[in-house]
Amino acid sequence: MIELRNVTKRYGSTTLALRNVSFDIRDKEFLVIYGPAGAGKSTTLNLIAGIVQLTSGDILQNGESLVGVAPENRDMAMAFENYVLYSHLSVYENLAFPLKAKKFPKKEIDERIQKISRLLQISELLDRRPGFLSGGQRQRVALGRAIIRPATLYLLDEPIGHLDAKLRHRLRGDLKAMAMELNATFVMVTTASKEALAMGDRIAILRNGILEQIGTPEEIYHQPKNEFVASFVGEPPMSFLDVQPVQSDGKLIFRFEGCENSISISNRVAGCLNGSQTDFRLGVRSSELTISSQQDENHNTPAQVYVVEPLGYSNVITSKIGEGLVRVTVDSHIRPKVNETIWLSLDCDHLHVFYKEKAISHPIRNQNANH
Amino acid sequence: MATISIKNLVKEYGNVKAVKGISFDVKDGEFVALLGPSGCGKSSTMRTICGLEQITDGAIYFDDKRIDHLRPRDRNIAMSFETYALYPTLTVYENIAFPLRSANWSDQKVDEEVRDIAKRMELESILDRLPNELSGGQAQRVGLARALVRQKPNVFLLDEPISHLDTRQRHRMREFIKHLHLELGYTMVYVTHDQEEAMSMADRIVVMNEGTIRQIGTPDEVFNDPADDFVAGFVGEPPMNFIEGTIEQSDGRWDFKIKDQQFPLPEWVRAQGEKMPQQVKLGIRPFYIDINLSEDQPYDLSGEVFIVENMQDYTIVSVDTNDLRLQIVASGDFRAKRHQKVFLKFQPQFIRFFDLQTGKAIKSGEL
Repeated sequence: MIELRNVTKRYGSTTLALRNVSFDIRDKEFLVIYGPAGAGKSTTLNLIAGIVQLTSGDILQNGESLVGVAPENRDMAMAFENYVLYSHLSVYENLAFPLKAKKFPKKEIDERIQKISRLLQISELLDRRPGFLSGGQRQRVALGRAIIRPATLYLLDEPIGHLDAKLRHRLRGDLKAMAMELNATFVMVTTASKEALAMGDRIAILRNGILEQIGTPEEIYHQPKNEFVASFVGEPPMSFLDVQPVQSDGKLIFRFEGCENSISISNRVAGCLNGSQTDFRLGVRSSELTISSQQDENHNTPAQVYVVEPLGYSNVITSKIGEGLVRVTVDSHIRPKVNETIWLSLDCDHLHVFYKEKAISHPIRNQNANH
Repeated sequence: MATISIKNLVKEYGNVKAVKGISFDVKDGEFVALLGPSGCGKSSTMRTICGLEQITDGAIYFDDKRIDHLRPRDRNIAMSFETYALYPTLTVYENIAFPLRSANWSDQKVDEEVRDIAKRMELESILDRLPNELSGGQAQRVGLARALVRQKPNVFLLDEPISHLDTRQRHRMREFIKHLHLELGYTMVYVTHDQEEAMSMADRIVVMNEGTIRQIGTPDEVFNDPADDFVAGFVGEPPMNFIEGTIEQSDGRWDFKIKDQQFPLPEWVRAQGEKMPQQVKLGIRPFYIDINLSEDQPYDLSGEVFIVENMQDYTIVSVDTNDLRLQIVASGDFRAKRHQKVFLKFQPQFIRFFDLQTGKAIKSGEL
């Protein structure tokens, strides 16, 4: 296990890349570090690898501090986004290179190459030179070379980041399957939310050097701690609506910004409020609500259709409530017209409620979805 | 506003034929997307419409007027490009105001117009900044705002205008541009490599590859009735699965056979099956394959789970069968282990066939 304890990293006198970050990397998990550019993701990886030194805090491996331990003595292998293959060497020789450099015996090199090339489905390509490979094959070879060295911990910095979307999509499955077979610990940095959800056993979300949340994809997706995490994971992105809690006829309601419409506040959500009148927002994922062309007992909030986006499998309907926009994913045959009034199933027990960007209530989920 | 007519357009760069004689029309007020991978000729086509490049052969018309010999400024177009060239010494406000001031607008009208577009593009808080103080996404939005303030252009041309934005901003801008088009009714041509952008925004999509047009159609048409296996594979995410196999007829049964497994074909193939080639490529989208953990239900193919990707709202399951890896989109609560045996059923109405040699779709109406 790797433990980061109050890790702070400063570059020069002004740039604070990581601020007091603490989390654990569990044995044999696939941990994804996810966040926007400049979040401190690569810095975290480099600190674990020992390539850069921490400013304060500590990093422990199996209970012992790694401070002062040279990178080569950490039993870790690190792969970067841009690896260049040697064009004059065959695939086999490219894969053998890192092992030869470490003076591995020939037999072990061969065994290792056979295993990795089988996992990455490049066994048939071992005699070829990089110039005779497709882009995807080359990437697989490069990935293979990055993880050819046996280690208990692999650190991957956007290993498939610069590929086109179709190839990325395929390789992320290959990479995850390979990680499962190798039975080692993986830490991978990415800027793609789909990769984070698809690959991570857990996801650590960084922004501006701060750890915003760490948890399973399910926790991150369904119980985001704040608006940033909520908006940064999932596609289409979560919709947010500014609301004000007010008393109306003795009942507590959320009134939407910019119009007279409102939804009632359940006792459960009322218990999470704090008496403040401002800074509340509702968050809703496009899959967490439904629409109807008529008002009925579940569809009580009128909204004006702003735009309808067909995506083939489904349509995303964006509608306006006052000044706010709400996206709903619907079946591909449902196509209301722009500016038409539709009715949304906005129910505060099935919404995320944020106060000053921090989550104070999450949707009650269908129990089946947890199993 | 105007219609656009492209007739046998050829664009060569030295020996390289970037656009190989393409023709298409854009109706008055229509939103057309040029979609394809890098190098397909979509940007070259766009640049000839703008007048940034000379055409090698063919003709371009706005309404009935041939314009391909005109200078860009004489074509009355508004455009926004991926590489937004903002004036570095001017503030965001002055960058957006520039085209209006050039057209001798009064200060008050300029101010109204700039503030209106800035509000809609969420640029109000950065109007005083200089371009070098902006993020890539912000700069792209300013470039778009500047293109949009120009009044009544013949056509509005956008080349990858939102590709630098993060997911959240991209969705906002996509909705914004589409809504704006509905309100203003400009004739619009939009170049993108992102199939979801083209699908979500355009009235019609021109799908290009290697300098040629592979299909022109509405989002529904290119998604549901792709003209060939290129379009079928390019549009839709995750992409369509393709399976090469043989159509076998015995005892009044029509089966699709791959290696050791076979399954009955849909009714329309059987009805007109005599004209069906024997060797075909079957296409089925990941969303239209049902997956089961038991063989109690009828199934078409069995296989073994390679990897399960739980995206929360849905699950992508990669399954190995007959030396193929198929992808299936299942519900968000689907769970299976690696190497677990699974049973697949193709929804028959969504099965498509393609010619093994040409890749062209084999359609029920043409048999």
